[in-house]
Amino acid sequence: MKDQYLFIFAQAHDDFRVPELYSVAELYGFDLVIPEDFDVARPFAVLELEKEEHARLLARRCVLIRSVYEFYARGSNYEELHVGNRAARPKWEKYIPDTSFKFVVNGYNQSVPQHRQKQVIEHFSYMDFLGKIDMKTPEIILGCFEEYRDTTGSIRQKHDDDGNFREVFFGRLVEEGSARPLVGKFNVKKRAYFGNTSMEAEVSLLMANQTLAAPGKLIYDPFVGTGSMLYTAAHFGALVFGSDIDGRQMRGKESRPGIIRAAIQYGVQQRVLDLCTFDVTHNPLRCGGIFDAIVTDPPYGVRAGAKRLGRKKRRIGSRPDDQPYIPPTKPYELSALARDLVLLARYLLKPQGRLVFFLPTVTEEYQEIDIQMMLCDGMEVAANSLQDFGAWGRRLVTIRRTTTFNYSSPTFDADGGDLGVNGEEHAPAHRDFREKYFQGFKREL
Amino acid sequence: MVRLITHNLLACHAKGCTTNNFPLQIKDAQLALREAEFNPDFLRGFIPRIEWAALVSAARQLGDESLPNEVPEMIDDDFLRGLHHVLLEIHIDEGAMVCPNCGHVYPISSGIPNMLLAEHEIG
Repeated sequence: MKDQYLFIFAQAHDDFRVPELYSVAELYGFDLVIPEDFDVARPFAVLELEKEEHARLLARRCVLIRSVYEFYARGSNYEELHVGNRAARPKWEKYIPDTSFKFVVNGYNQSVPQHRQKQVIEHFSYMDFLGKIDMKTPEIILGCFEEYRDTTGSIRQKHDDDGNFREVFFGRLVEEGSARPLVGKFNVKKRAYFGNTSMEAEVSLLMANQTLAAPGKLIYDPFVGTGSMLYTAAHFGALVFGSDIDGRQMRGKESRPGIIRAAIQYGVQQRVLDLCTFDVTHNPLRCGGIFDAIVTDPPYGVRAGAKRLGRKKRRIGSRPDDQPYIPPTKPYELSALARDLVLLARYLLKPQGRLVFFLPTVTEEYQEIDIQMMLCDGMEVAANSLQDFGAWGRRLVTIRRTTTFNYSSPTFDADGGDLGVNGEEHAPAHRDFREKYFQGFKREL
Repeated sequence: MVRLITHNLLACHAKGCTTNNFPLQIKDAQLALREAEFNPDFLRGFIPRIEWAALVSAARQLGDESLPNEVPEMIDDDFLRGLHHVLLEIHIDEGAMVCPNCGHVYPISSGIPNMLLAEHEIG
């Protein structure tokens, strides 16, 4: 028998909300029922869970959860709400005799003025709670939330719509979301070391949740750059390992590497297993099956270009001042990089391990097949969330290794073009993303 | 940095260098000991991935004689604590790793090894 919980979500990264909930439920191994009419445009939703403890685990780990309440009732008006709440009496009657409590009334898209808050609270008087009202340290908090429609752009007086809400919800606070404040903790601007392509805090936390980061796990970023994803995965307890073709990004200018300085700031330096300079297409890793997750934001050529070892073309003459020796690099086209990354992940991940990475794509040209054609046997898409920037966007793709067969290390020479599922050539929207970006995403005529 | 767990995962990967390319020999090592969180589940999961002889010889080269020659049949807490120390708490901050086969030198600077290959060493 499952119980209902009222979730209040942050209205940000809508497309990431469901994957995050499922990932955290999978991490802790419990079931979660999301209703079919779940609407990410609304901050309130009633989900089903087996135990209150599960609601607490979600609230402590999901970055997009503001708070979780035990669900008592909902309604399109207060009459409906009170009918539901009377029926829910078995859930709250245990608090009647002597539990101290506090009542909060909040509105979404519109504030509820104090005199209305008082009226709303008085209408709950039939609950007859005998405990004292305690505004500072109540044993329970009851919350009533009026959800108004977004009226941006229309002209109206401030309190014209008072009471004319879309729906109202009522419940008892189970847990305030405690993962959300981490967005402030990992704020890039306050970080001891960052670069111009460092991943923003909220998204790097969402990425860490997609990896199922936890103590005892080992997580790898093959394009580690300034290490944004290492800090959040390590914060959740995982050991992290990073590599990059360009060691300068990891080091910064001081003698102590920049990533280590930031890791010390966050108290996770013990969990940074190691950082190595190498090209992931010529990597020195002796064996596969070692990582629980691979998390990365591959360079896609707009601010930082993707490079691999090799030369674009032969250089004429010699350059005498190559000291210390810096090997030449050549560009790495995005759709080739993406396919290689999936093959590499199949080799380096443990079975059931996850590859979590961002794929930039052209909004108008994107088709689901673009993601499907990156896959190989034994790798399946677990989630695919869009962060929309208008003409382009980036998709956080989560791919799971479903096979236990140990494939050999990829050769990184696959440049045979992009084949669709039925063997026909198909150019994914992310192919030559850099060129499309700088052409302003104008379609060729 | 460059903990022995990492050293145990790195092999020379220069073009054509496919035999006797592991373990890399540690040269001119400046060591540091740094405490790490003990997680027995992680260690148990990682033991099958360890090249044991390579780990034992690397540890002995760095002056740590604590590991047995073979992985014991009974893996108890004492053994795991010793393994934890060797794998995760010994850091090579400066020095180099040298391929026993082709002699490629992978320098370690501020704890970060440079595993990049030169142009003539890639396929």
